[in-house]
Amino acid sequence: MACHSACRVFYRRLVSSAAEAKMPPSELRRLRSAVFSREQARQRALITRTEKIEVTMEGPGLQGTLLVMNKGVSTPYSCARHLTEWHVNSSALALVDGELWPLHHPLTHSCSLSLLTFKESDPTQVNKAFWRSCAALLGQVLENAFKEEFTIELLRSPELPVISGAFCCDLVLDPKLDDWTPSEETLRSLTRDAQQLIHQNLPWEPLEVSPTVALEAFAHSRCKQEEVEERAAESPNGTVTLYRCGDHILLSGGPLVARTGLCSQYEVTAVHNLDKGEMGLHRRAQGLSLPLQLQAHHTIWRRLRKRAERLVEVSPPPAPEAAPPSPVAETPAQTPSSAPQQ
Amino acid sequence: MRLSLSTLISHGRMARRMGLGPKSRIDMLRNILTGLVRHERIETTRGKADEVRFYAEKLIDYAKKGDTDEKAMKMACFWLTEKDLVPKLFRVLAPRFENQQAGYTRMARIPNRENLDRAPMAVLEYKGNPYPPLFTPKRDNELTLLNQLLKGYREEREQQAAAKAE
Repeated sequence: MACHSACRVFYRRLVSSAAEAKMPPSELRRLRSAVFSREQARQRALITRTEKIEVTMEGPGLQGTLLVMNKGVSTPYSCARHLTEWHVNSSALALVDGELWPLHHPLTHSCSLSLLTFKESDPTQVNKAFWRSCAALLGQVLENAFKEEFTIELLRSPELPVISGAFCCDLVLDPKLDDWTPSEETLRSLTRDAQQLIHQNLPWEPLEVSPTVALEAFAHSRCKQEEVEERAAESPNGTVTLYRCGDHILLSGGPLVARTGLCSQYEVTAVHNLDKGEMGLHRRAQGLSLPLQLQAHHTIWRRLRKRAERLVEVSPPPAPEAAPPSPVAETPAQTPSSAPQQ
Repeated sequence: MRLSLSTLISHGRMARRMGLGPKSRIDMLRNILTGLVRHERIETTRGKADEVRFYAEKLIDYAKKGDTDEKAMKMACFWLTEKDLVPKLFRVLAPRFENQQAGYTRMARIPNRENLDRAPMAVLEYKGNPYPPLFTPKRDNELTLLNQLLKGYREEREQQAAAKAE
């Protein structure tokens, strides 16, 4: 009972704070995008003198290719553009001296570079990045989908392994929408929104910023600020990486793939209710996507889709992928989703 | 020999007519077969390759009887015009196909000849030869995104089946 009343108090405080910091989502997006652009311009202005670096390409058919690029300006994407159209279109992620590197992140030193596609001999890292990017895209779709009067908070969503069958995005909706359950048409319209974003082929631009800038960008969202602090504490040099896709700014725990156009089949499959947290009712949106190079036949797609509709379970430790702890059919209350993973 | 429309309605014809007559045909096939035994992979027109294939397989069947067998030796001496290949047939090819009952050769179609006649061509080879493979095996990586999703799907199905069985 005490817990319940405490929840009520929290809830009331939240509502009051939300009321005073009420801001329409479009305005919020514009603000965050402006902060991002300002920081990006500032970082670009720091490079006053063009210095050259030597980039050695690695990969089939590229042995001995040496590119002379601009330090701090050229990205792996511009290296790919010096090669062929195939490299530009199919590379999702780059590997700089054995370290994962977003494709639109500027190179800082002379290095050896290999471009990763979805058909590598070991595409585990690319798959992870793809799954993360799809979840980010889902978050973007959900944030733009509701009317201006409803607030929506994207929580720090757990990173699921690919083998679990779906990616997910945790969110808290406006308390007015607590008894809203999405119908099939709603999911379809969300899917259509995502398809439009994919069709626009927007890049995910990374930007490494200090936590103060990130806190400024997310000044109107408390849970985002907490996430910024957590991520800053986790990262070795105390910075966080912001990504911009269109006018949506997001935080990410790892590199995202190059563009939205790399997904081809994309579907929002379900929105499940989880337990009630301090922010309100937690919901989990799930989806399924496949890259352009690996498309599935519609019979296969239907089966995978049916599996992705069920609530995915988050294993409490960062568990090995091969060992699913228990069958997926369970009650939503068991899922420890409110506790952030990793 | 070959199940096709022409053999189905063969009207007594058992094989292609090639060369200047039956004897010429056999001589031609002997020469090609000798080349096949020597080089283990040859390139001829498609019709000839298809004809030789039958005799090439048959020759291995005889060779597997061993070089003490009279009939086998006779066949080898007839079909191999260059006699230095007879030991190769019995010592190399016959042991190679010991565990195999049929299908000693492989035929692959290749583009038409760039000659004036544009004849359809083929490659005929004995299996187990030291050359690089004719067909590169298709790679299917278990770790790709789609295969990982399918693996998860299969595992879940197995779990459900096990749960149902209990």
